[in-house]
Amino acid sequence: MENKLVDHLFRHQFGKMVSILVRIFGMQHLETIEDAIQDTFVTALKSWKTQMPENPEAWLTTAAKNRVVDLFRKINSEQDRSIKFQSGISSIGISEMFLDHQIEDSQLRMIFTACHPDLNPKDQIAFALKTISGFSPKEIATALLTPVDSVKKRLQRARKTIVSKNIEFEIPQGKQLNARIDRVMEVLYLIFNEGFHSSKKEILLRKELCGEAMRLSTMLLKKETLRNDKLYALFALMCFHTSRLESKIGNDNEIISIKHQDRALWNMQLIFLGNDAMNNAVKDNYEFSSYHYEAAIASEHLRAESFKSTDWKIILKWYRALFELQNSQGTLLNIAIVHLQLQEYKEAKITLDSIDVNGMAQRSYLYFATMAEFHHSTADTKLALENIDKAIELVSNKFEKKHFEEKKAEYLMRNI
Amino acid sequence: MKDFMVIFLGADYGEMGLSPEQIQERMGKWFAWNTKMREQGVIKSGEALLPGGKRIAGENRTVTDGPFVESKELIGGFYIVKAADYEGAIKICDDFPDYDLGGVVEVREVMVFDQ
Repeated sequence: MENKLVDHLFRHQFGKMVSILVRIFGMQHLETIEDAIQDTFVTALKSWKTQMPENPEAWLTTAAKNRVVDLFRKINSEQDRSIKFQSGISSIGISEMFLDHQIEDSQLRMIFTACHPDLNPKDQIAFALKTISGFSPKEIATALLTPVDSVKKRLQRARKTIVSKNIEFEIPQGKQLNARIDRVMEVLYLIFNEGFHSSKKEILLRKELCGEAMRLSTMLLKKETLRNDKLYALFALMCFHTSRLESKIGNDNEIISIKHQDRALWNMQLIFLGNDAMNNAVKDNYEFSSYHYEAAIASEHLRAESFKSTDWKIILKWYRALFELQNSQGTLLNIAIVHLQLQEYKEAKITLDSIDVNGMAQRSYLYFATMAEFHHSTADTKLALENIDKAIELVSNKFEKKHFEEKKAEYLMRNI
Repeated sequence: MKDFMVIFLGADYGEMGLSPEQIQERMGKWFAWNTKMREQGVIKSGEALLPGGKRIAGENRTVTDGPFVESKELIGGFYIVKAADYEGAIKICDDFPDYDLGGVVEVREVMVFDQ
């Protein structure tokens, strides 16, 4: 007997079942549906203790199907007219809903519903993680560094909005489709970044968020009518970043900058996968998107054999193009950093001076740290110290703070 | 070697609101324990019990519906294991997965009648 379950089987199964049952019964019954699925899981947990079924996934699917029958009976016995089938789905069609391609179709519908423009962006992320990825409110709270109560409120608000605005459980068509896919990609990108960039999380949680974003992207890519060059570029970007995840986090959960990462730890398989996706992203009449540029930058870092041999000129070009497109202060800061790497101090200073620090909000400490590095490079220790002190004051992550304190010590050494 | 009945009490998963991932993690621990016991050849049999149930009492065989006790005392299932003595049986129960959820294990020696 094989005693190992596929990773995240229950979580993924939860997402599948919710999607199928919502398609059958409608979004207004989401809570009942989630409870019913939870019930089948608890039953599985109890009955599998002594004997695990040969095909756990099939077992769970059958159990969920039986739950549909239960809900049916509920209608008959309690005359509960509030539970009705969605139009277009007959009892004969139900079995069909559990076929693989229909399951995927239901899940895609759920992704597009979660990303409906009527929903608040923050609610979209929480709702997607719950209904598609099977995260509990507590897990979402930990993942997004948000109190559980606000996660619950977001979920509730999302459910209410979907029902009250009568949002269809479907993949939009025509012009609407493109706009919606863009939003779907943004949500996936945000989920991914929560995993990749936040410095406050356990490696396990980071991997899970990145993994979910990649899994959902793959699901979209599988569908011919949905895939486009942007989506390929987004997926490439995720592959490139994830390939460095192991090397990015040290033993104490501290962030290791790319300069000091052990390049031997980079995951080649993911890099190949990313290259493949990138090739698809630049086929035919593609248009450069921010995902294209970000993927290009990430790939340039991966291409370098050592930090020293990084081709900063090309990276600068991509950052400039990205800035043209997005006009983000964070990108400007990156441009300044690249100028510093290239020892183009004049350009670095001009770029730094054009940054609106207030626009960087919580990340303003990065501006001051870069400013400090600039003054250090141009041998102005006084200003270097002034700026690094500001960075130390503003940074909240202890590992980053430690890093800045080491920098400060380095600047002081120069003074002696 | 003697037989011991290992009875699991409490830890009603249904009421705990475990997430799918936690359910999977829990299950992994049960599998691990089960596999370990099988490999050591100490497990004879075991069953899980559904909640609820019936109770029959009195000369009139009056049937009442469960549950009969608070959920923390509910019997969730049992194993029959082989061990030299209580100490050995208790050692086997070291890997019981639900202590952290307030679960309790009761160990009882199976009586052997002289022939």
